[in-house]
Amino acid sequence: MKNSKRFCLLSLLIGCAAAVNIQAQQQGGAPSDNANTVHETGQQYKQGNPLTSASDNTIIGRSGQGAANLGVQKAILNSKINSFIAFFNNPMAGTQFEQFLNAPPETSEAAERYRSNISKIMDLLAPPASKANQDAAYALLPKASEFESDANICTTIHDAVYAAANSRVEIARLTELNDQLEKQRKIAEYNNLLASRDRPLQQTVTDKNDVANNNANQQLERQARMEPTKRELASVGQTIEHNKMQIATAEGRAKFQFQSLILQLFVQRRYQHVIIANRFYRALFDDGDQSLESFQQMADKLGYNKQAGQAKLVAEGNPNVAGAVGSGGGGAHGVGASTGTNGSGASVGNNNDGGGDGSALSMSGLQFGIQNVSVESLMNAVSSGMKTASRTFKSLSQLDGIANEIIRDVNEGVKSYKFLLSQNEIEAATAQLVSAWSKGQYLPSVQLLTQDEKRKSLKFAQLVNKLVNSGQSGNIDALSSAVAEMKKEAADFDDTEILSNIQGVKLASSMHIAQARVAASKGDLQTVQTEITRAAGIWPNNPDLQTFSSDMTKVSQEADPMVHARTEFDQLYEQKSYRQIFEGIDKYAVAVGTDTSTNSATRLNNLNQVKKRMQDIETSIMRSQEIARRGDYAGAWEGLEVTFTQYPDDQKLGQMRADLTTQAADFVHDIREAKSYEEKKEYGSALAWYLRSQSRYPMSDLSKQGIERVVKQLLPDAN
Amino acid sequence: MIALIVLLAGGGAYFGLHQGGGDASLRTTEELDPQIYYNNANSLRGNTYKMDVEIDSALGNSATKGRLFSVLLKKDAKGGNSAPEILPVLLPPDLGSLTIQKGQHYIMKVKVIENGLLKVEEATKP
Repeated sequence: MKNSKRFCLLSLLIGCAAAVNIQAQQQGGAPSDNANTVHETGQQYKQGNPLTSASDNTIIGRSGQGAANLGVQKAILNSKINSFIAFFNNPMAGTQFEQFLNAPPETSEAAERYRSNISKIMDLLAPPASKANQDAAYALLPKASEFESDANICTTIHDAVYAAANSRVEIARLTELNDQLEKQRKIAEYNNLLASRDRPLQQTVTDKNDVANNNANQQLERQARMEPTKRELASVGQTIEHNKMQIATAEGRAKFQFQSLILQLFVQRRYQHVIIANRFYRALFDDGDQSLESFQQMADKLGYNKQAGQAKLVAEGNPNVAGAVGSGGGGAHGVGASTGTNGSGASVGNNNDGGGDGSALSMSGLQFGIQNVSVESLMNAVSSGMKTASRTFKSLSQLDGIANEIIRDVNEGVKSYKFLLSQNEIEAATAQLVSAWSKGQYLPSVQLLTQDEKRKSLKFAQLVNKLVNSGQSGNIDALSSAVAEMKKEAADFDDTEILSNIQGVKLASSMHIAQARVAASKGDLQTVQTEITRAAGIWPNNPDLQTFSSDMTKVSQEADPMVHARTEFDQLYEQKSYRQIFEGIDKYAVAVGTDTSTNSATRLNNLNQVKKRMQDIETSIMRSQEIARRGDYAGAWEGLEVTFTQYPDDQKLGQMRADLTTQAADFVHDIREAKSYEEKKEYGSALAWYLRSQSRYPMSDLSKQGIERVVKQLLPDAN
Repeated sequence: MIALIVLLAGGGAYFGLHQGGGDASLRTTEELDPQIYYNNANSLRGNTYKMDVEIDSALGNSATKGRLFSVLLKKDAKGGNSAPEILPVLLPPDLGSLTIQKGQHYIMKVKVIENGLLKVEEATKP
């Protein structure tokens, strides 16, 4: 039960180690929530952060794009579409998985032979293994190692077994030597005992002084006798103790190295090798379930410098991120140790991200994927990793059981994959395959999958890669397209949340454009600039941007003085405000003169009409004013009246005409009466009035013309 | 003798009528009030008036309708108005024998016809 619980934890960590690490990397240093980011950015500018240069725009744009990217990434990561999308979010993991999907099945003769050898070794070592079986298995190890995919691990096990056996021989030799030394020590003790005994007095004591001298002489003699035996006894004792220490050290070192190798193989997901090495260990050492104690003791002895390095600081700052430390260096899968929040639930997991070369936990060359490269922090990482491993696995039998369980789990996962594939549930099938592959990449059931069996998942994986790349690029349209393509390819793909988040991002962009419009209406160009840059940063292809741009272009054109003048001219002409045009004739003449639009001819014609009209009116007014200055008000009025008849809507002309009407009231009255009768075809009366007006102002053209007209009516045949 | 007197009287009357337009009829004809005429000639239509005028100028000559002149009312004709009163008169063709020149003084009997025009029926020099 305890083992099962540990297995669950371990499986979870193995399956999600990469995802957690990737997610942690993405979240590192970035705001935890998109809305907060936008809000904070908005607050920053709302509080009047001045924008004065293009660099500010760049910052705003990046801020917006960053928010969008984060939003999209969150959309992907938060979407419950399976952890493998996060897994794909890491280029190396995604690439390696694609390599696997593209690779042909391991069905070569060499691969078959390799699997046969591994299987035979495991069978030979299956308990209870005889000495002959152990030797046979040991002999097969170099052969198994010939296959490339073995990565010489069998040779490593072979060497470890050899080294452990050698240490056992050395221990035996030292033990035998100590036995001999023990015998020597007993003889030396006996000799020392004899030497300590008193000799009979050679001279009789005669007086009190002779007795004292005799005693002193005997003491000196005893000391002289015991000195060689004491020296021999001490020498033998020291040699025995020294040998005991060597025995203890050799055994501890051999066990530790072997245990480290087993753990290393475990985290390398070489579960078959774990089982092989574990069985060799049991054959060499008789530790039982306490067999990992050496490793744990060694790990506990390693110190931890609290003041040193970023590893601790990162761990404290963000436990999730700090927990994922992987082995450094390039190559295949490496070793990582993952610590949970606040140090609890620690586990050893596979780290697909870092990719080390299997040197982890080997006491030499172990490198964890931490950023701080100082010796102290590196040692801290080693210490943490070893302690984590030692706390997770208490015994080799536990490790052996977990390895077997994982092998079974991977085999089940492959079966599930095939079943889901047959049901055309591509997303679920691919998730199963990712899980099986990440746990048991080197197991036969995974390696024997054919390209055809992986084909659909490959297509889906490529789409996932595209989706992730689109999300990272911040191109919302590309992301939408990728989601649609994924949905088309995999009907079980749940795009609800992603589409919702995409819509949210689009809405945010449009909201910025709306704010820009509001700002534009207020003439706040600073805010317009800010909002548009931000909107473009979030969604560069937002169609509203093009619309806004067109609107702004129109506005800017309208702001052009020439364009403005032409528009104004058209409006004034439409309103028949000819005098207003005349007052700004220079401006309008230039504007119309530079007009290249299709209305240019019409505008020019209208302008010329206005010019002629106003010239007539102004000339008439000036002439009338001059005549009026001479006191000839009737003449002045008559001059205006003629022009007024032609242009009755000019206010200035009308006003002056009205003024002069009062100055030449009788004459004006006569003329108006005459016209009135003329209109009523009462030509006799009209003629009378015209004659009367002419008598008042003999120079009157109106009177003269009126008389001629009326006479023509009265005497049509007059000559 | 009586027959001679009657003959002489009849001959005198005939001569008078044919020379000046008949002083007897002009004596009983009312003078035209120019203000009334100006203000509402239609109301005077069909009426006959007497005018003491001075020929101002010829306005037109029609073979069928006659000659059109502007005449200046003598100021003493009706109360002596300060403004010159100038009116148009039509001499029909039947008065074609009458010699009209600018500045001549005539006493005319006119009738207000349609259009408010003053048609001369008789014209005599005072």
